[in-house]
Formats: sequence, structure tokens, C-alpha cells
Amino acid sequence: MNRFAYREALTVQEAVDILSREEGGRVIAGATDVLIRWRQGAWKPRYVLNIKRIPGLDAVSYSPETGLSLGTLVTIRTLERHALVRHCYPALAQAATAFAGVQIRNLATVGGNACNASPAGDTLPALLAYGAVCRLVGPAGERLVSLQHFFQGPGLTTLQPAELLVELCLPPLPPRTGALYIKHSPRATMDIAAVGVASVVSLGEQDGICQDVKITLGAVAPTVVRAHAAEAVLQGSLVDAARIQQAAQAALEDARPIDDIRGTAGHRRAVIAPLVRRTLHYAVQMAQGTELSLQTQRGLAVEAIF
Amino acid sequence: MADRTSLGRNYPRVDAADKVSGRSQYASDIYLPGMLMCKVLQSPKAHARILHIDTSRAEHVPGVRAVIAGRDVPDVRFGNGAVKDKRIFALEKVRYIGEPVAAVAAVDEITALEALDLIDVTYEDLPVVNDPLDALKPDAPLVHEDLPSYAGYKPTMGGNICTVLEADRGDVDAALAQSDHVFEDTFRSQGINQGYLEAMACVANVDPSGRINVWTSTQAPYQIRATLADVIARPMARLRIIPMELGGGFGAKLRMCVEAYPVLLALKTGKPVKLIATREETFTLSGFRLPTIVYIKTGVMHDGTIVARESISIFDMGAHLGAGVQSGVSHTLGPYHIPNYRMRSYAVYTNKIWAGSYRASGVADVTFAVESHTDIIARRLGLDPWAFRKQNAFHEGDLAIQGSPIPRNGLHETLEAVKQRLGWPRKSAEGMGLGLAMCQWRSGSGPSTASISIQEDGTVSILTGSVDITGTDTVFAQIAAQALGADLDHVVIARRDTDLAPFTGPSGGSRIIYSQGKAVQMAADDAKHKLMALAAEHLDVQPGMLTCANGRVYVTDNPERGYPLGQLARMSLTSASGPIMGTASLSSMPFAPIFSTQAAEVKVDKETGTVKVVRFVQAQDVGVAINPMAVEGQIDGGVIQGIGRAILEEVVIKDGKIVNPSLTTYLMPMAADVPSVENILVQVPTEDGPFGARAVAEPPGFGPPAAIANAIEDAVGVRLKTLPLSADKILRALQGEPPEATALDPDLLQRLRG
Amino acid sequence: MKHQLSLSINGDPYEVLVEPYCSLLDLLRDQLHLTGTKKGCDEGDCGACTVLIDDQTVTSCMMLALDARDKAITTVEGLVQDNTLHPVQEAFVQYGGVQCGFCTPGLIMSGVGLLLENPDPTEEEVRFAIGGNLCRCTGYAKVVQAILKAAETMRATAS
Repeated sequence: MNRFAYREALTVQEAVDILSREEGGRVIAGATDVLIRWRQGAWKPRYVLNIKRIPGLDAVSYSPETGLSLGTLVTIRTLERHALVRHCYPALAQAATAFAGVQIRNLATVGGNACNASPAGDTLPALLAYGAVCRLVGPAGERLVSLQHFFQGPGLTTLQPAELLVELCLPPLPPRTGALYIKHSPRATMDIAAVGVASVVSLGEQDGICQDVKITLGAVAPTVVRAHAAEAVLQGSLVDAARIQQAAQAALEDARPIDDIRGTAGHRRAVIAPLVRRTLHYAVQMAQGTELSLQTQRGLAVEAIF
Repeated sequence: MADRTSLGRNYPRVDAADKVSGRSQYASDIYLPGMLMCKVLQSPKAHARILHIDTSRAEHVPGVRAVIAGRDVPDVRFGNGAVKDKRIFALEKVRYIGEPVAAVAAVDEITALEALDLIDVTYEDLPVVNDPLDALKPDAPLVHEDLPSYAGYKPTMGGNICTVLEADRGDVDAALAQSDHVFEDTFRSQGINQGYLEAMACVANVDPSGRINVWTSTQAPYQIRATLADVIARPMARLRIIPMELGGGFGAKLRMCVEAYPVLLALKTGKPVKLIATREETFTLSGFRLPTIVYIKTGVMHDGTIVARESISIFDMGAHLGAGVQSGVSHTLGPYHIPNYRMRSYAVYTNKIWAGSYRASGVADVTFAVESHTDIIARRLGLDPWAFRKQNAFHEGDLAIQGSPIPRNGLHETLEAVKQRLGWPRKSAEGMGLGLAMCQWRSGSGPSTASISIQEDGTVSILTGSVDITGTDTVFAQIAAQALGADLDHVVIARRDTDLAPFTGPSGGSRIIYSQGKAVQMAADDAKHKLMALAAEHLDVQPGMLTCANGRVYVTDNPERGYPLGQLARMSLTSASGPIMGTASLSSMPFAPIFSTQAAEVKVDKETGTVKVVRFVQAQDVGVAINPMAVEGQIDGGVIQGIGRAILEEVVIKDGKIVNPSLTTYLMPMAADVPSVENILVQVPTEDGPFGARAVAEPPGFGPPAAIANAIEDAVGVRLKTLPLSADKILRALQGEPPEATALDPDLLQRLRG
Repeated sequence: MKHQLSLSINGDPYEVLVEPYCSLLDLLRDQLHLTGTKKGCDEGDCGACTVLIDDQTVTSCMMLALDARDKAITTVEGLVQDNTLHPVQEAFVQYGGVQCGFCTPGLIMSGVGLLLENPDPTEEEVRFAIGGNLCRCTGYAKVVQAILKAAETMRATAS
């Protein structure tokens, strides 16, 4: 635990300037990840840079043309409760409800969760499945990077020195779209996922044909990953129970789980297919117009006893 | 006859208002002028000789006021129990990762931590003994080479065996030979942390007069005083231990863990010194439950009568004698009448932190084994698990394992109550199952004292040395109010420390209501008799013609004639026998068993192996529920701890290093993980407990692991013999993988049979 | 190097000097001696350090003190008004929701936070709302009951 210094920025440019000028800084928003690593002695930043005072970075906006825009400082609690997120991007709201506990959700930010780049981060499978794009600002200016390419490895992102994530943009979704995130963990709150699965399914005008599908897996690879082989089974095809089961099995092809304190590779592998199958089943139901109450969605997301 | 009664009242805890408003003072809430912060340097090695310690660099860090290590303290060995195998600092070698080697006092914690990094210790590695089975091998490295020279050591088979306990009755080999069926199973349970919310904390200060004040989070102030006096070589009368509000202990704080360090540093610096353990240090500075192996062999007749039992239990004791080995002889019968038995229980040293106490240490492990084994037998014989238990359960008069006849109790009532509540037997829905387990314990005994004074305004003050963990202060108030016929709102429990209150045993082991509460009742009766004697004198009647009730002592047939308690107190100030005080002192109480029956209903997800407890019913004989709300609260808490043990918790230790010393990775149940317990309080009063009360608090945690393991078998046909009952294990079993081997080597068993 | 910090706690303004690495929890306890808020794990896992910031619950060990600049903090001490307990505090007392008491302030803050947002929660909603508060003594049942009873009382008072 070193004695770090404190910096604050009031604009994005100021933040970039500080990071460019002074070495050894860590950006903090919610500060949750940084404080934990610092107390463990894993991180010894020379200084922390607080970006929470930068106005406008906590905005949530939506339009049917451009989709959902999430400022990097949007808290997980906002994701959980915001009507636009719940209605239009339910897997993200479900993931938020599965995230730690209320107190942490009030502090933690979606940008922080992305930049922490844990393979098990709860919002990441849903963000990836919704095709999120990251807007980064740095000394060289602004650039857009798909979330897929943002993650480079466990805890590693493509952020360049002095670069900041300022916004996540989720493209608009076709009308008949449903989604479910399931977090597999021993407890209904507070855990880091042992396995996380999100499926987003869009059905075409003709009932039963899958127009678009994204299936993502968390905690079973160095980063959150797309289950491409599983998606290929469904893309453009008639969706029925047998196809869903086939897709679920195929999801294993993109998983490379390891043994760790939260589970063995073997157990992780064993539960991927059932969880993918379940997310697909409910995503399809929702796409077909079945309303699932928030309570039901939460219950499914955290494998609750209720 | 009393118009109002204090028994059976859900009187709110007397300390609750302070706790909900944040006014209660725990040890870490004390701030004294000039106070320094203490951190302890812990061994990074599981087993190594200490060649050299150099504290000079640490001493020169600005803000550091003192650094101490083994060479700076008296050469004293002490112990958690009978065998004196511990030192407060490792001296010639370290025996576990985390063992204290030095300590620093500095102006703040960050400075103290910087100083720790600058203490240079040179170690020479020694071979590490990782688990008891390795420790029992003939050529195993010795954790304590000088074990035979330690005070309190009783010769055993040698090597790393710390303690052996035995219990025998009848002829078990003959009975097994004559049995129609013999069943043999081995069960393994895991390392468990007590999980108290308040990590250890202590502030020490030395008065100008030389008295050492120690404000600490402890369950056993008198035991701390005795141990401290020993290790710092000072007289007990110079040590004042002030037990602060206790934020959970469950046994972890029955013995001295951290107090010596702030005390020694306060003596050295002349300043107050505070130590607050981190959450990680609740795994490395204080012992917790270590893994246990229990082998059981049972002989049963065709008709389901159990006639013989043999058990061999191996307790991983860690580096110092801790708790639990007793349960390998006291609990392996279960609550069953078995006329022939042979029990052996071994405490084995390994290179880990000692096996600490946790809410009747070892009994949960043994109960998991016994009650799983009971179900296995029932199922193999095609018998209903409830009926099989009912058939063999103790009756009044049967001999308990320590030889005493079992007095009247509610065991069978608890069995019937659960059966009725569940509608047993009944078929469960797909993927769901029901499982039973029975728990047994005994009400705790031990030295207990109390004194009661009546104030001049009629209010009542109670002084005892116990620490209020489970709401016992409130129950004492109810007991005293009931005995004296006083208004419960006017009964106060005095704040106490070891200077103020006479000796009492530790607050733990289900001791406090049964023994300490009894002392309170006796002291109240003593005060009552003195009040009545004084009143009789003034009213010129025999004491037998008086009633003490409703805050007065009055002539039974003429209630107008009498005195309020306060007036009697004032009168006593000038009476021949002086101010009225009721006192009581006792050292042991008669045997009063506790029995309960528990049932878990589980839902198993066959595709992921996840098991959830959707319903939990339990019936416990509490004797008399003086405060039903407090009793239920204790049972609720114990059951949820048991559910945590059953499916969530495990301290993972690899090569002596604790892999998960954190609440992120050591998982305890949260509110959304568990149901509300359905409590049935059976009340069969004891002969001797205060108003018939029995102890309550420890048994509820014993049953859930077996109840849940039994429910899992009922639900999906899978039998697990190791804890925790994880999704991984269940899924692998469902997919046909052979279960993890638990059985012990037959040669080892034969050796341990003795 | 210490930085100046202005904030409001339980309605009172404070001007303090804090190190950058001082958490809000350590500021409350070590400097201001508002010891009702407890430290259970210092890593956000137990909820014993829960306080309200502008009506939202947060684990104060997971926040830098400097991050609380110009914020309005409520701690458990601030719930008592004119020597009267808040209905949630009172319910914990009456319904056996308190045992060792160490998790209690944090649990109460979570209960208060929940009822500010949702005055009529179901049992399930209560359990999830306190899902970030570890209790080792009560098994949660009486805590949940207390919060539900407090909600009842508060709804009755409001109407």
C-alpha cells in the first residue's frame, strides 16, 4: 500500500493532459477496483486521477436511429433501473441486477467495468452481445473501437497511454429482439461469475426465423468472447428447441476455461451448454412478445431460489 | 403468584437501541490521545527455522515507536488448551504461514506496514507437513520435535499426534460380528472460517499506577487475563481486561489471539496501542476449523436396531492444539442408543494455523458423518429415514456417552413435530428432495458467578462477568425480574470488566443461559430471601407468610401490608445485616442435553449441479423459552451458518497457504441465498436450568450439512460424502463419475484403532 | 500530501484535511470519530460500512474521502432525530433484528435506502436490497421481518 497522490480533472481534455504529462497514474471513477488492488499491494499508482467530476460523462440517451449511448460514468445502478435500458436492452439491466450488491452498483461505473476488463465482468457479455462500440479519447484524438477488440486479455485493454474510455454506444436493435443474461455463481448476490452467458436474439418478420443472434460467454476465456459457432447454427435458420440445443452444444467450441478458485475448467465446460440453451430459450420467448416481469428476469439472471 | 411474568416475553435486547443507533462501543471504536497503531509481521513460510531477525531498518522509519520480536518477550509457552505448545512470537522456528514473528507500533497503520516490510528475517526451509494423513506417516517431519517436553502433554502414539481420546462400551467386535448388516463409510469435511463480522481488535494502555488496561473483542476476559499474565510475566491483579461489545466470535475469540502485541508495545512505548485485524488476518492471526475425516462402522439388525458402532476421527489440528477433537468421542454415537461402541479421536499436528473453535467445534463435522451414515443405512435397508431414527433415538434413562443417564427431554417431541410440519413422508416434485438430520449437544457448565443489588428506588442491578453474545444479558434481566417479581424495565445489567466482576468461565459452549443464568437466578433468589427476611422482621410475621411479586414484598393474605422493593433496600442500609446483595457462585451444573430434529428441502438443478435450500424446518427442545424471539434468532443464525457450511464455504489451503482469505472468495450466505427457517420450539423443562431453560445456541448449525446431503440423495439419487456439497461435485456424480474417494487406508485404520 | 475537503455529514458541515488514500470510511471513523459505521472487510464485500450519499447506499470503504467533496452523507448516527429512533431502527429493536450488532448499522442504512426508493417492498425485494450486507448472527429472517414491519409503519404514518 503506497502513499499515492490525488489528481482531479474537470474536462476530458484535462484528464488526457494529466495522464500524458505525469507517469504512473490510474484513472478512478467508482474507485472500487483500484482500492481493492491497492490494498492488496497489487497496484501501486503514483497518483489516482478522479474523472467523476467531468460533467456529461454520466449521461444515458437513446434514439431508435442511433441506439443507446452510455457515458463512461453511468453507474451500474443506473443501468439496472433506467427505463430505457430495462426496456430496450434488458440483458444489460439483468446483468446490472446481478452485479455485486446495491451499494457497489451505486459506485461502480460501466466504463470502469469495461476498463477493468475482467473476463468475468458482469456487464461485459451483455455489452458484447449488444455490439457495443467504445469511444476513446487520447492525445492523438478520438477513435472508435468495438468492444470485441477493446479487450486484449485478462485485465488488458487496447487503451493507449493517456487514453480514456468516454462512451459506450450500443446500436439500435430490430423490433423483435429478446435477450437474457445468466450469471452462474454460488450466491445470488456479491459473487464474481463462475460462468456468464448472454444471448440476444432477433426474429425476422416471419415467425421463427432468426434474423440475428449474438451469444457471448464470460469467465470461460481470457476475455469475454462471442460463441461464433453457436451463432452460426442459428443465424438465418428456423429457431426450434432442437436448433437451440445444437447451438448450445456448439458454444463449447469458443470456450477455453481454466481452473481457479471459482470453479474448475471441467465444471465450467459442463454448464455452458445448459446456460446457453436457457438464455436462448428466454431470448426467443421475449422476441416473440412474451413479457417477462423484472422480477422473473432477475430470478433467471441470478439463478435465485425464489 | 406473580401478576406479570417476565418469562416467555419477546423483550427486546437491552443493548439493541445502542446498537441500532451506532452508539455501542466495540474495541475498534476506542480512540485515545497519543494512540499508536500496531501491525504484526507474519511468517511467509509454512515450516522453517528462524536463523536471524534484524529489526534495525524498521526501527528507523520515521513514525515508528517500537519494534519487538521473540527475543524481546519472556520465554513462556502457553496453549489454547491443555498442551502448552504456543508462543506469542515464533522463536526457533515457524510452523505455519501467518505465525507472528515480530510486531511494530507506529503513528498510523500505513507507517507500521512500511516498517514491517523492512524487518529482515532469514529462514531455513524445513519440509512441510500438509495434511494429517501425511503427518501420520512414520517418517513424517515433526511439527513439534520437543512435544514430549511440553507442559500438559499426555503420551500418545508419538510423532505428530497431539491428543488421542477414547470411549468404549460393551464388546463392539462381538456385536459387529453378530450384526445382520454392517455399514462402513468415511466422510470428509472442509476448513471453515467462523466469519465473525468484527475482526479481532484490541487497545492496550498502561496507567501511571502500572495497571494494564486492555479493551478487547473477546468472549473470555478471565481466560485472556490468565494467559496474558502468563506470557508477559505480570500479576493478574495488574491486568484489567475490559470486554467491549462483541461483533461476533463464535468461538474464535475464546482464546488470546492478538492481545499480547498491543500490551507489550504499550509497555514498551508508554503509549496506548491499538491493533485492528484485517479481514485477511481473521484467517491468518486466529485459528478456524480445519478439515476432518470421520470413519464410521455400524452394525444393524434386520429389524433396524443399531447394536454396534465404531468410529475413528482424525482432526487436522494445525500447528497448535485447538478445538474439536472431543467431538470425535462425544458425538459419534449421534442421538441414538447404541450399547456397544469404540470411538477413537485423534488431533494431529500439521503446518497450518491451529484449528480454532467454532460453535461447538468438530460437532458439525461429526454430525455430517453420523447423520449421512444414518440415512445411508436406512436407504440400504429399505427403511424410512424418519422411522429408522425414531426407532433408535435415545429415551430418557438411556446412558449418554459420558455415562450419565439422559434426563427427561424433548427429543421425541422434536421428531414428531418435524414429521407433522412436513407431512412426512411425502413425495417431492421433480428435482426436489427432503432430508433429515438430528442434532445433539449438552448445556454448558463451568464456573459462574453473579451478584444482584437492589437500588434504593427499587431498580435492580445485575453484575456478572459474562460477555453478551446471544442476548444473554436480556435473558438475565428476565430471569432476575421473574425471580424478584420486579419490573423488567427496571432491571439493569452492569457494565463489567475483570476488575469489577468476579471470575466467570468463557462465554461460549452453550454455557451462559444454563450455568451463568442459573447463577443469576440463584443470586436473585438470595436477594429475595434477604428482602423477605427483612420485611418479615418489620412486619412481625414469618417469612413463609410473605409473597414477593409486582415489585413488593407483602403479606400473602393481607396484601396491603408490605413494602416496595426500593423501600426495603433503603431500610436495609441501616439494618443489622447491612445493604442487601444477592450473590451466587457455582462451578458445575447437572447434565442437560439438547436435541433437535431438522429437515431441509432442496432443489437441484440437474444440468448445472446447483443446489438451493428452498425450505428449512427445525424443532429444538429449548427447555423453557425465556425469550422466544432471542431463542429463534439464535436458531436462525445457526441454521444459516450450517447451510453455508453445507454448500458454500471452504477455506482452501495449498501447501500451507490459504488461497482465499477474503470475503470475495470465502463465500458465506447472504440474504437472497437462504429461506426463513421454520422454527418449532419444543419446551420440555430441565430440572436445574434457570426456570427450566436449556442451552440453545450451538446445535442449530450441526444438522444442515447432513440434512442437505440427505435431501440431495432424495432429490437426484446422488450421495456426497465430502463438504461442501458443491455444484461441481453434484454434477459430476449426476453424470456418472465415481465420487471422490474418502476411505482411509486399512492399515492406518488398524493402527488408529489402538 | 493532505487535501482540503468540505462535505456535509448528518446535516452538519465539515472542513477536514485528508490524505489522498484515506477512504470515506476511515475519515468517518478515525478522524471524525463517527464510529457507528463499521469496517468489516475493507473490500466492499460485507456492507458493514454502508452509508447514504444523497439517498443512495454506498460502501464507504470503497470510496475515497476526497470523492465525497460537497456531498451530503448520512450515517447511522444521523437517523436518530430528537432522540427518537428512525422507524427502521425501532423495528430492528422490536423484532429481534439485532444480535451482535456489528452488521446492524450497515443493514439499517440499506433498509432505509430501500424504503426511500420502494415504500412497499416484497420479502424477495428486501432480501435482494440487503444482498450486499453480510450478517453472520441472525440468519436474516428477523432482519427481513423488521424491514417489512418498518415499511408498514412508515406507510401508515405517511397516509
